Amino acid sequence: MMRRREFAALAAGSAAAALWQQACAEVEETGALSAETVGTLLDHQGPRGIYEDPAELERLRRAVENMIGVQRTLREFPLDPDEPPLTIFRRG
Amino acid sequence: MPVDESTFFRTVPELAAGLRDGSFTSVELTGAYLDRAEELDVPPFELPSEPREDHQGKLATMVTIARDHALEAAERADRELAAGNPRSILHGLPYGVKDLLDTRGVRTTWGSGIFRDRIPNRNATVVDLLEEAGAVLMAKNSLGEFAGGNTSSALNPWKLDRTSFGSSSGTVSAAVAGLIGFGIGTETGGSIVFPASAVGASGLRPTFGRVSRFGCMALSWSLDKIGPVGRSAEDCGHVLQVIAGRDPRDTSTAETPFVFRADPGAMRGKRLGVHRPEFLLSRSETTQRVFQEALDVFAAVGVEIEDIELPLFPTGALFGTIVTVESGTNFKSLFDDGRAAAMFSFNEDRRAGWMAGRMLPAADYLTAQRIRNQLVRETDEIVSRYDAVIAPTWPNGAALRVVRNGWPVPARNEWEPPDDVSGATPRLNYIANLVGLPGLAVPCGFDEDGLPLSLQIVGSPMDDQAVLDFGMTFQRETDWHRRRPPYPWRE
Repeated sequence: MMRRREFAALAAGSAAAALWQQACAEVEETGALSAETVGTLLDHQGPRGIYEDPAELERLRRAVENMIGVQRTLREFPLDPDEPPLTIFRRG
Repeated sequence: MPVDESTFFRTVPELAAGLRDGSFTSVELTGAYLDRAEELDVPPFELPSEPREDHQGKLATMVTIARDHALEAAERADRELAAGNPRSILHGLPYGVKDLLDTRGVRTTWGSGIFRDRIPNRNATVVDLLEEAGAVLMAKNSLGEFAGGNTSSALNPWKLDRTSFGSSSGTVSAAVAGLIGFGIGTETGGSIVFPASAVGASGLRPTFGRVSRFGCMALSWSLDKIGPVGRSAEDCGHVLQVIAGRDPRDTSTAETPFVFRADPGAMRGKRLGVHRPEFLLSRSETTQRVFQEALDVFAAVGVEIEDIELPLFPTGALFGTIVTVESGTNFKSLFDDGRAAAMFSFNEDRRAGWMAGRMLPAADYLTAQRIRNQLVRETDEIVSRYDAVIAPTWPNGAALRVVRNGWPVPARNEWEPPDDVSGATPRLNYIANLVGLPGLAVPCGFDEDGLPLSLQIVGSPMDDQAVLDFGMTFQRETDWHRRRPPYPWRE
């Protein structure tokens, strides 16, 4: 049986993933990402820290917007369905 | 005089011969390198630092010059050598290590003001291995903050207004300027071979897993490599033999042993795959001619040359995703406790990228690693048909180094970017880094401005010897690696 703390962590992770999807949809629909959405994403990471500063938040907004564009490229790549991820990396 | 000007530019076997035949002792050699570094390298500002322009002709390749530590190690080496107990070919030779690797009792800053006073109480595995081999640590070499690309303080000794690229620029510039006997760099996506190209050094990115990263700052766990830098391909082979090997503290390291063979043997009939599009990227006819003449050197010794095609993958997107997610995860504590705010100003966008990487869902990171696995299989299949494959390390000589208000202004791309999905040039380099293949940068001539040009020789996984064989053969037929930057350095 899952403990309450484990469930909370899982729920937060799922919520973060759902928020990211929402951010992707926002960029898809409007061509840009709002500072509010970035702020919501950020709040799932913990205290805002340096991102209380609007200039820093704007840099982060641009970075997230760029990351969403990059991920669109990767999500559209014709991936072999049998391909596993390279999570244990050893060459010899 | 036991050590003269030419001594500083000797290769590893030549320096070792000098110690062996009594031309100089390790204390004399180390002392001379230290004096030279203190005279030519120390800028009028404190390191680590943002890129600056007020160097007053000093190269700034060293964050820390470890004089006391070095002379003590050199005295020990002299005693052991005099007793007839040589530990390795590196015994008694002074070296510099990128300031990303921990050194016991010698500060290790990762190129950042945040860690200006960080003094580790342990050595990185590589430093331990070099110590066991009797090598003499004399300097911690400058780099871009947190191994960040083209943002180092180190100048290019061939022309002070040109970039020395990054991030292992301090190590490679110091080697070419005759300030160290050999050096250790690190590479995630080009940080050994690109600066080696810019300054005309020989630099080896070993196969992923050849060399333990324990005790080295992690930029990307699945991409980081540590490798040797020197004044010849043979230097790199001798150093790799010492630093290679399995280390239980770095689970990526391989069991496969590496025993360096300094004789490349006959090259007739060996097959070299040429990624031709990269030879044609430069707009300079001189540069294109130099690269072609370098290929002709291999043909003249009987190497069979054949054009190849590399797989088309979104390498820029793959590389960017993997590095930002892994860096963002690794540097989480810098954000949590607010130290990230003290990163150098030019890194403001980079730290935002790290935070964006932390936000990325795991599924997207795993998708990138699935695509990478497909790239590994397809690339291994192509490369396995050849003894090595080759392309220019960088399409041109070093671009202008421009610093504006503390920001390094990105160099203008003076070449034609290829019209494909790769998203990152030079392609062979980025693919080889993602796939974990060994790559050796060797100088191959000069452009019309007198700046070094370089070839990158890439081999199959764990076949580091093959790329060294091609490099050593090239350097037996040419003398580009013997050229020294004129002093006073050109402005």
